[in-house]
Amino acid sequence: MMKKLSVKENTREKFIEAANRKKILAHRCTTCGHLMLETVLYCEKCSGSKLEHAELEGAGTVVTYTIQAVAPEGFEDAGSYAWVVFKVDNHQLRASGFLPGVKTPADLPIGTRVRVTGFDPKHGLMLQK
Amino acid sequence: MTNSKVCVLGAGSTKYGKLNESIIEIALDAAKDAIDSAGITPKEIQAGYISNVFGVADRQVHMAPVIMSNLGISHVPGLTIESACGSGSVMFREAYANVAAGFYDYVLALGVEKVTHTSTVHSTTLFSYCSDFFYEGGNGASFPGLFASMARAYMNTHNATEEDLANVAVKNHENGFLNPKAHIRKRITVDEVLKSPVVASPLKLLDCCPFSDGASATILCSEEFAKKSGRPYMEIIGSGRGASPAAVQGREDITTIPSTVAAAKQAYKMAGVTPKDINFAEVHDCFTIAEIIDIEDLGFFPKGKAAHAVRDGATRLTGEIPINPSGGLKSKGHPIGATGVGQVVEVFDQFTGRAGERTVPNAEIALAHNFGATGASAAVHIFRKVDRK
Repeated sequence: MMKKLSVKENTREKFIEAANRKKILAHRCTTCGHLMLETVLYCEKCSGSKLEHAELEGAGTVVTYTIQAVAPEGFEDAGSYAWVVFKVDNHQLRASGFLPGVKTPADLPIGTRVRVTGFDPKHGLMLQK
Repeated sequence: MTNSKVCVLGAGSTKYGKLNESIIEIALDAAKDAIDSAGITPKEIQAGYISNVFGVADRQVHMAPVIMSNLGISHVPGLTIESACGSGSVMFREAYANVAAGFYDYVLALGVEKVTHTSTVHSTTLFSYCSDFFYEGGNGASFPGLFASMARAYMNTHNATEEDLANVAVKNHENGFLNPKAHIRKRITVDEVLKSPVVASPLKLLDCCPFSDGASATILCSEEFAKKSGRPYMEIIGSGRGASPAAVQGREDITTIPSTVAAAKQAYKMAGVTPKDINFAEVHDCFTIAEIIDIEDLGFFPKGKAAHAVRDGATRLTGEIPINPSGGLKSKGHPIGATGVGQVVEVFDQFTGRAGERTVPNAEIALAHNFGATGASAAVHIFRKVDRK
C-alpha cells in the first residue's frame, strides 16, 4: 500500500505555511549551492537530489508585472490588482504573487519594493508594497 | 528501420472562428480536405496523430479513436497529444518522427479545438490552466497577463513602446484580410489598437489573438510515396523541439523564450540552412509581444531590434522576411490544438499555389514555429518546396 504523504512532506503546503509567516521557502542544493523554489525537487543546475530548506525573507523588488483588467474566475471580486514577478532580496531567486490595489502603471514602477504578507487560499501568494 | 525523408502530401483547414459544428465534425471537415488534397483515401492512412487541449469543453476526450472511427478506419491506431497552445506542432513532430523512423508510410496529423461556446471568462480560466498554475494562474495571472508581464519586461529592457507592439497587430490583420479562412478579416490601425480596451496592462484587446474554433490537417508520407503520387508536395527538412521553465519567474531573461531558441537551433542544423535562407515564416503570435520575441529568438533580427524592423515594414508580405502571411494567430485565429498544424497548412498552401493574394513570391524554404503556454514547450519545422517541373 502506498504511503500517503503527510502535510509535512507536501512541498506546496510547506511553501504556503512559510508564506503565512511572511517567508519564501526555497530549496538549496547541498552539492552546488543553487537556490530554487521549494517545489523543485532536483537541482536545476547539477540534478543533485540532496537539497536543504532555505527560509528567505519574503521581500524583494519588482522585476515585471501586469495589471489584470480582465480577471480569471476566482479573481473577479479582487478589484484592480497586479500579478507581480519579484526578485527576492539578496538572492537571484524570483517569485511571483498577487498585489491588490494597483490601478495604473504609475502605482508600480519596475524596482518597487514588495513584501509577502501571507497566502490566501483564493488569491495565492499575497504581496504588499 | 532507416530514417527516411518525410513529406507533406496533403493539407486542409476549416475556417477558423466561431463554428457551430461539434468538435468531431470540425475535425472531420479538415481531415477530409487533407485526404482529398493528398489524392489518397483513408485506407492508406496507417496512424492518426491528433492534437487537442480542451475537448472536455465539448464533452469529448480520447479524440483520436473517435476521429479514426468516423473516417471509417477504426482499426487504425490513433494518439491524442496535448501541449497547450503548442499541441499542433509538438504532435506534428511525433507524426514526422514516426514516418521518418519507418513505422508508417502515410499518417494523418490533425489538430482541432472548440472553445467559443464557453464564456470569455471561462475560456480565460481554461487557458490559465496551461500555466504553472500554483505560481501563475493561482496568483491571478491570465494568459494575457503573463504575456503582458513579458511585454513590460521587454519594453523596459529594449525601449520599445506600445505603438511598436501595435504595429505587429496591424501587419497581421493586413495579411489575414487576404485569407478567406481567417477568423478576423478586418484591417486595423495603430490608433485602433492603442485605443482598444486594456485586457492586461500593457496589452490591449487588439494586442491579443481571439479564442477560435477550427481544425487543420496534414497528410505526411515517406518521400518514396510522395514522388510516386505525381502531386505537389513539400519536404520536411528540419525539425526541432525545445523546453523552457514552465513559470515565467523561473527564466533568467524574461525577454526571450529558451524553448524557441533551442528548437530553432536544432531545426536549422538539421536543414543545413540559416535564418537568412528562410523566405517566410509562420510564428506564434498569440500576443503582439510574442511575435517580437519570436522573430529575435528565431534569428531573423538581433535582440532588441525586432520592434524597429516591424515598424520599418521588414516583416510585411513585401518585406525582407514576411512573417505570418496567413494573418497569424492574431488575425487568422488561434484554435489552440490546431494552430501548429494550421501553420504547416499555410506553408503548403503557399508552396502549392493555394495562397491567393497573400502568396509570398518565389518562396522555396519556409519555417513554422509554435509554442505552448508562455513557451514552456516549442517546436520549429523547416520545409522545402519540391519543384515538380
